[in-house]
Amino acid sequence: MKKFTIPLVILLICSLLVIGCTTKTTTPATSTSGTASPTSVKTKDKILIGMSRSLSGPLAQIGDSAFRPIYETLIPEWNAGGGIYVAEYGKKLPIELKIYDDKSDTGTMVKNLEKLILDDKVDFIFPPVGTAMIFAAAPIANKYNKLLLTAEGGATQLKDALPGMPYVFINLSFSDWYEVPVLGQLLQSKGAKTAYVIYIEDLHGIEYSGVAGRELPKYGVEILKAKSVPPDIKDLSTILKDAQASGADAFLAFAYPDQVMLATKQAMELGYNPKAFLGGPGVNFGFYHTTFKDAVNGVLGWTVASPKQSPELKAMFDKLYAGKPEELQDYWGHPCYYAAMEVFKQAVEKAGTLDNTKIRDVIATSHFQTVLGDVYYTGQLLDKESHPGEVGQWQNGVYEVVGGKKPTAEFIYPKPAWPK
Amino acid sequence: MLVTILDVLLAGLLLGGIYALIAMGLSLQYGVARVFNVAHGEFIMIGAMVTWTFYTIVGINPLLSAVISGPVIFVIGFFLYHTLFRYLRTKSITHAAFESNSMLAAFGLLFIIQNIALIIPRWGSEIRGYTYLASPVNIGGAIFAANRLVTLLVAVVIGLAFYLFLMRTRMGKAIRAAAQDAITARLMGININLVLALCFGLGALMAGLAGVLISMCYPIHATMGLEYTIIAIIVIVLGGLGNIPGSFLGGFILGLVGSVVTYFEPGLALVAYYLIFMLLLILRPAGIIGK
Repeated sequence: MKKFTIPLVILLICSLLVIGCTTKTTTPATSTSGTASPTSVKTKDKILIGMSRSLSGPLAQIGDSAFRPIYETLIPEWNAGGGIYVAEYGKKLPIELKIYDDKSDTGTMVKNLEKLILDDKVDFIFPPVGTAMIFAAAPIANKYNKLLLTAEGGATQLKDALPGMPYVFINLSFSDWYEVPVLGQLLQSKGAKTAYVIYIEDLHGIEYSGVAGRELPKYGVEILKAKSVPPDIKDLSTILKDAQASGADAFLAFAYPDQVMLATKQAMELGYNPKAFLGGPGVNFGFYHTTFKDAVNGVLGWTVASPKQSPELKAMFDKLYAGKPEELQDYWGHPCYYAAMEVFKQAVEKAGTLDNTKIRDVIATSHFQTVLGDVYYTGQLLDKESHPGEVGQWQNGVYEVVGGKKPTAEFIYPKPAWPK
Repeated sequence: MLVTILDVLLAGLLLGGIYALIAMGLSLQYGVARVFNVAHGEFIMIGAMVTWTFYTIVGINPLLSAVISGPVIFVIGFFLYHTLFRYLRTKSITHAAFESNSMLAAFGLLFIIQNIALIIPRWGSEIRGYTYLASPVNIGGAIFAANRLVTLLVAVVIGLAFYLFLMRTRMGKAIRAAAQDAITARLMGININLVLALCFGLGALMAGLAGVLISMCYPIHATMGLEYTIIAIIVIVLGGLGNIPGSFLGGFILGLVGSVVTYFEPGLALVAYYLIFMLLLILRPAGIIGK
């Protein structure tokens, strides 16, 4: 037994250190320590928001660069102004965040959420990272009547389940919620007739390739081949050569940044130059451009907004990105998450209460003025008319909106050849 | 058709070179030093991220950066064995107890290294990459990037050099003796602590060098390690536990299998790897060239 004692003690200490490091509570500067029940009217001095986030594990890669910069920007900003005004209490209440690390594990996320709701008695929950996590979190939000405005992730399958989950509101745009149909229109407008599709073999990839198979033919674009790729694929050269041999006008990679970056790098190396090259998610991130620089001129990806579309959007992008490395930029997710946070604040103020059910009704039935402009929800989805853009294209170092409601530049087709 | 066959086979060999290098490192650590180092991939990650940092921020050539990062990673591996794993070995009553204790410690090491990498400024969790020697090279109609050919060349040179080191030098003989029977080797006058620490350090060095090569060809990130560790485990089972030439050969076989399966159905490449893994464990647990 003795031989196991020391390793077990070390393991225990390490576990405690990890838990200690990854359980983070952000206390507002203006809050005072509460001594009574958080539901007591007289002593309510803060809004407690709980989150189970993937601060470690594979999903940390997405979470750290997606929703995290948004809440880390907006919550301190709101608290600096005193917090959110809640009429029920007749004053502004600052926000305290309570964050647990779920280590990218769905089971841990579920336990964390229940602990936040039952033990920590948070007033609200903020979303976990990714589509699969949303699937698991939505029933919990429903069970405890907690509002869940989602951030990273969203899927057509979830859309079908939404009527049974009235507390869940999806904010990120996705496949048939304008993206792929807009891509179809763009390709049709330039005379593209064929496409070669690769897709990641998970919920995301299957959804996008399925929607592409259904939507693109409506715009005269035939899919010559659709190949699934595993998440840990190391070499795409044989697939890219097959795509090249197919002579397809467009190469569409419905995959994650790992595969999109690999496809881009190997397409450049092989000199594979389709007339349109789309990769997403991946192309919409600043790190895509910092890695390949202007060699990616003409590459397409998904987007929602550009700083060129309105002074409000410019102000938001400046606030989020000024003085920070370009690789942290995200033109697809960040505007959606930012708008969702604004919706949350305005809905609480409009409802004048912290009652999740009343706030949920306000969100379901109201219009909100956000950084995206006038936004509202249709069937609990941020309406597609709320997105100023759908398809983006790198043009001389700028990620322009080329497809959607408010394009900022003309769609370049065919894409310029990769530089030698 | 011939070009397609050449394409698929060459792609397999190019990928196999990296697999071989990774697996040789783990084979040394597990086969000789008896540490089932599940943190092996983290040394690959360190090699890759350091190379990326040197190339994109300081402008140092990736192959030159291997000369700097390689010895540093070797020293880290050497001292890790000399401190942590040596302590565990002396405190463990049996070999089996040491293997399980060291595997637990390696798990801890995995999380510690990975989390340190995540908080290093500029490394973070985003995917990184750079373009180096990306010009296409035509081999009999099959086109590949120059960087991947360099990768294969370097992997083969390192593999052969290490094989010669094992077969032709006194230290190589000591390593082989330690791999066969550490206690008897010690009785024959071999400084077993030094040999085992050297093996662990060399294993880390090979992982680091593989990381350098991977960074030249593929996107990299701070949490990339584990997927390469899994590949290394499959390869060392394929080649035979502790069999260095077997691991080298196994790397190429796995690369070829992956490439052929990917050509027909990319989604089944990983399935093929695990199928090989399971079949070998059932039918030939000593590996393809094991005794």
